[in-house]
Amino acid sequence: MATRCQYESSNEIGVFSALTNSYALCAIGGSENFYSIFEQELAEHIPVIHTSISGVRMVGNMTVGNRRGLLVPSTTTDQELQHLRNSLPDGVVIQRVEERLSALGNCVACNDHVALIHTDLDRETEDIISDVLGVEVFRQTVAGNALVGSYCKFTNQGGVVHPRTTVEDIEELSSLTCVPLVAGTVNRGSDVLGGGMVVNDWAAFVGMDTTSTEISVVESIFKLKGEEGGDIVKDMRASLIDQLS
Amino acid sequence: MSTPLQILCCLCGTPTPPNASATCTSCLSTQSDITRGVNTEVTLHQCRSCQRWFKEENKWLGCDLESRELMGLCLEKTSGLKSKRGTKEEHKIKLTDASWVWTEPHSMRLKVKATIQKEVDGGVILQQSFIITYIVRNQQCPGCQANFTQGAWKHLVQVRQRVGHKRTFLYLEQIILKKQGSKGALSIEVFKDGMDFYFGERGKGERFIDFLENEVPCKVKKSKKLIGTDVKSNISNYKFTSLVEIAPLCKDDLLYLPKGLAKSQSSINRLCLVKNVGEVMQIVDPVTGQIGTISGGDFWGNYFRPLVTAARSRMGRYVVLDQTPVWEEKNNAKRQTSRQKRRVAELTLMKESDMGSSDSQVVVRSHLGYLCKSGDTVLCYNLTDTNIVDDEARENLEKTNMQDVVVVRKLYGGGKGGEEGKKLRNWRLQRLDVEIADDLRGKKEEEKMNVDEEDFLRELESDREMRERVNLYKLSEAKKRTSSSDSESENEEDDQKVQLEELLDSLDLDSKPDADDQMVVGGVPVTLPDFNEDLAYGGQVGLAWEEGARANQDGIGFIDRDEKVEDKTQPVMVQQFGKEFMKGSFKFT
Repeated sequence: MATRCQYESSNEIGVFSALTNSYALCAIGGSENFYSIFEQELAEHIPVIHTSISGVRMVGNMTVGNRRGLLVPSTTTDQELQHLRNSLPDGVVIQRVEERLSALGNCVACNDHVALIHTDLDRETEDIISDVLGVEVFRQTVAGNALVGSYCKFTNQGGVVHPRTTVEDIEELSSLTCVPLVAGTVNRGSDVLGGGMVVNDWAAFVGMDTTSTEISVVESIFKLKGEEGGDIVKDMRASLIDQLS
Repeated sequence: MSTPLQILCCLCGTPTPPNASATCTSCLSTQSDITRGVNTEVTLHQCRSCQRWFKEENKWLGCDLESRELMGLCLEKTSGLKSKRGTKEEHKIKLTDASWVWTEPHSMRLKVKATIQKEVDGGVILQQSFIITYIVRNQQCPGCQANFTQGAWKHLVQVRQRVGHKRTFLYLEQIILKKQGSKGALSIEVFKDGMDFYFGERGKGERFIDFLENEVPCKVKKSKKLIGTDVKSNISNYKFTSLVEIAPLCKDDLLYLPKGLAKSQSSINRLCLVKNVGEVMQIVDPVTGQIGTISGGDFWGNYFRPLVTAARSRMGRYVVLDQTPVWEEKNNAKRQTSRQKRRVAELTLMKESDMGSSDSQVVVRSHLGYLCKSGDTVLCYNLTDTNIVDDEARENLEKTNMQDVVVVRKLYGGGKGGEEGKKLRNWRLQRLDVEIADDLRGKKEEEKMNVDEEDFLRELESDREMRERVNLYKLSEAKKRTSSSDSESENEEDDQKVQLEELLDSLDLDSKPDADDQMVVGGVPVTLPDFNEDLAYGGQVGLAWEEGARANQDGIGFIDRDEKVEDKTQPVMVQQFGKEFMKGSFKFT
């Protein structure tokens, strides 16, 4: 199920939160509503961690992670690092990255097996990503945009890319990531997918403005409906897959 | 190689080509109205008497219905179409098309179908058409206001010539019309020996005086009257009056020059004819053919009146019986010998009225001798018949044994007298719109005026040079008649005849109010027919164009009355990415 939520009346929830298969990060805010929505959906399965990164609330933008690890920018304070270490489940590695492009969430898109990264990232960073997150790394752009973390979002089940990506690009990305991809939007037509949603293999959170059509697309491509998905969704998925084939 | 992908519209889920807002056309159109903020009911002001449209303070524009200019004016008056300064590029409205929609001329409504494009949020450009209605209201323009108000003038130019006839003024009127000399005059009044021109501004009057000084020898006397003064700010309000006196000498007048003046003109004979009047007067000695020039200054310095004036036919008609060229030995003025035309000849003349009854012949020398051959008719002054007022002249003429007959000009076929000449005339002149003073209203005065006019027209007919300085217009029935009249006069060799090609088409059919005070169509001034508000189009039937014809001429779309017009169409998306999106590094690979 995809859940609509808002962080202090902002729809860009991907900026203020991060979600992987083994943990979730949440920004510290004035009210606990945002946190409690995550808590309600995820608490049974994975820890939801309140944190800031180098003193700012944009935890989703600044960090990147998957089931195996979490990368934080070099500006992260020791205290924050210690707090994250304490809160993360055992077996999740946390690592600081010395990288000029410190908004790692914008520059890297990954699932548990593959990562697409910004074309200008350092080679060292690339190595760290592949070691810590245990993924294959590809330097890629999405629809001409180097900020792959912002303009696409994928999990082990599937992914959404920028609406202007061509069929050929989608095919290429799809073959790299080995998951089905679809072009889509969130937040009533916004193409900043990384900013508008957070998703893992069984849960998704989208901005409050997201329309039901967009939610349907998200749920069907990330296989969040389970087996009991309605006929409409199956049809829609069929039509989307048709376009890809 | 790139294949565009279809995404689902974020609102309705229909597959649609991707655009900046990820919304399909129909959803976009229901969500946004780009015509918001554009005024669709606008008031225009039009002056009822001169039919001009109000543009801005003190600017009134004359333009036809359905014309390009009016369209420009209308769109300018529509608020919301033009973005305010500092508006961001993406919020600007772009007008892409406008066409006229037919409206009943009496409805006082103009309708324009405008098509605009605007970027809506998300960077999509939408296009939408809608109707703007213009309500025409009447408002008198300052020019017409001044015309209707008494005493609104600032500068009065009184033009006077102290002679008994109107020749000069008839000629002046034509020059004024041709050169638009009285441009800006509020009104013109005709008096017994002159005209008054009223101007709203001092400068316009001054310009008119300069114009007159270039055309006729004249003397200007200026005066002003204090109307009121503001002592605090040191501003005074004056009314200016200028008296322009024109020298009382006209073409073909016989002069008896003052002694000094004759001496200064290389001792020209004191009895001479006025050959031409321009900025200066050209005189010619009818016996020797010697010519001279009198400037305005010379004339006003030794003021004199003509001995005999040419006006109202005081000349006798003589028939040339014989012509013998004369070679004068004393003829040493260079310009005379060099000019072939000024050849003096001895003519044997006989009075036309005496033909067949008496044998009295006169032999005279004439500066026009070279033009004449036996059988020609010439106009002459007969000094023995004339009552010469000037005592000195009379005595001197008697003493010097001057010849009695002075040949003034040769009469050409075109100068046929009487009703016949009038009928054959295939042209007409334009007249200034003047008020006539009360003392000229009588029957007698009218008759005099008509004689002067007829004389003037005949003079024009027989003088090609003079015609070049005025505008002659074709009479509408002239074209039909020419074929017959041509054959009639073919045998007469007449180089001064009015040729049809000389005449200008009278363009009053196309006349339209123009941008400026003066109506000018294709370089030719045209008077507007009188405006009558009781009639359709104010009686100016010529102004009405066929529906859509004008728009078609200007290359503007025109929507006929039969076509159905929606007030507002659904907006459609323009197949073009928004500016914002283009700024991003999107590449078409």
